Amino acid sequence: MNPGNKITQSQKMMIFVLSMSLYGLATLFTELIPSFQVGIVEFSVEYFLFIPLTLAMLFDPLSAALGAATGELVFSEIMLGQFGGLGELEKFLTVTIGVYLAGRLVKDPRKRGMVAFASIFGVTVQQLMGCIVDILKVQFAVEDFEAVAGLPESVFFTEGFACLNDILFSGILFCMLPAMYLVPKLYGKIEPLLGMKPRDEKTAFGGNAVSPKTVILCIVGFAAAVLAELLASGGYELIDWEAAWAGNTTSIIVAMIVAVIVILVAAGVIRNRASQTKKA
Amino acid sequence: MRKLTENILDKISIDYLRNQVLKNAYGNDDTAIAKLDPRVLLVWYLFFGLVPWFLDDVVLLLCLFLFVAATTKTARIAPLVLFLFCLGVFSQTGYLFVVALFFGGNTETIAPLLVMTLKVAVVSLASITVFSGLDPDRLANGLLWFGCPEQFSFSISFAYRILPVLMEEFQNILLSYRLRGNPPQNKTLMGKIRYLFYQIRMIIQSFYPLMLNTAKRSRTTVEALELRGYRYSVKDPEVKRMKLAMLKVTRSDILFIVLSAAWVGISAGISGLSNIL
Repeated sequence: MNPGNKITQSQKMMIFVLSMSLYGLATLFTELIPSFQVGIVEFSVEYFLFIPLTLAMLFDPLSAALGAATGELVFSEIMLGQFGGLGELEKFLTVTIGVYLAGRLVKDPRKRGMVAFASIFGVTVQQLMGCIVDILKVQFAVEDFEAVAGLPESVFFTEGFACLNDILFSGILFCMLPAMYLVPKLYGKIEPLLGMKPRDEKTAFGGNAVSPKTVILCIVGFAAAVLAELLASGGYELIDWEAAWAGNTTSIIVAMIVAVIVILVAAGVIRNRASQTKKA
Repeated sequence: MRKLTENILDKISIDYLRNQVLKNAYGNDDTAIAKLDPRVLLVWYLFFGLVPWFLDDVVLLLCLFLFVAATTKTARIAPLVLFLFCLGVFSQTGYLFVVALFFGGNTETIAPLLVMTLKVAVVSLASITVFSGLDPDRLANGLLWFGCPEQFSFSISFAYRILPVLMEEFQNILLSYRLRGNPPQNKTLMGKIRYLFYQIRMIIQSFYPLMLNTAKRSRTTVEALELRGYRYSVKDPEVKRMKLAMLKVTRSDILFIVLSAAWVGISAGISGLSNIL
């Protein structure tokens, strides 16, 4: 039937739907469970990242990663009305990259050591990128970042600490251990349900685990994530630059009208391009 | 710690969650906001989601905040969502403020943080209005009109449909694990910690059957989609045109736009006046 054991388009869609609904459900819960603090150590059930990690190690990593990121966006952001617009793009991209890399690393899901390493690697990649973006965000969003007493140190401290905490606490407890438990247990059982053969050395995707192309793509993705986050929260240089004339009412009104026109034009352009690509 | 786990489990009884989410999604399609054209609302959101980041004026931001608060009120958002919003906004900036004080900041640290809080609040309230106030199907159609990938608008519609089913299933699995399990004693401190880990382990273990069941279900879903020619219809512009024919800009949409524009204009005027004085 399927000699090369290739994944068909509809199987990719199945993986997408599976990863989306499961991870979406989990993030909905984590969004609702309050984190509790012991001193300054924050114990939060930050991520049920083990779900997409498990799926990415068993199935096609890209579909699982994209599904997880979409699920998080739809279930926990849009459904609960916490959609931050462009800023969500950062989370979307970092989750996709982290899960995808972890999924690519694993050649044989039965080896627990490999699974453990890949899952902690995925979490670390994702958390580090998130941490860098967060620091940059505050640096750009708060005017005179250096001038506000105590703010730079506190931001570096809280973000760095949160990152380390997430990697060690959530990473081990909620990603590594569950993945080590679930991946070998699900191996060979869950694949037939989607009509696939289990992953082995021959069907591990694309031969070598992480090719240079993947790395470059990931770096580009990360740059896009940083840019999106900064665009979402930045704009301060613009204001500084305009400050000479932005003080009076007319200029604000003019600026508002310009903003409305720009948005309408942008909407029109998006619309046009969408219809063009449909025709092409 | 036992009190804490009990407290959490009380608050997020899964039935309560399901009701809130469902109510948020389908419970309020008779509000003024839900009747508006999704395309108009999305453009409106583009304005209120982007412009506040570029503003620096506290008065103007306050005016905008009042306006989006009013629209949120009109959209009759579920209390749970509003609670989460407050928690999110204040925990973030409040925490930062406390730590800044710790590192030798003073009360002057408040001002920039207040501006940041206001910005975040305006943007998130606008997004709550649009994304929670709208019916998911209308929202998906609006996104589709702007050329969003079909897969994404499908995900939105699908997520709202599948969530109650998934939640119920998860609850059932969790309850069956609880019935069969033998929780450790939680009198001493060690026992409490062990109890917490027991709970976590149970949640993680219950994902094993859930994953298998969801895999079956997602295969059924995709096969049903394929039978109906989903992947062909996605590519066909004619299908899309038919699907989006229901979207119409009415008088109330124009009224809404005019009202927003007038409010923004007036608040810009007020902030200008306060700058001159």
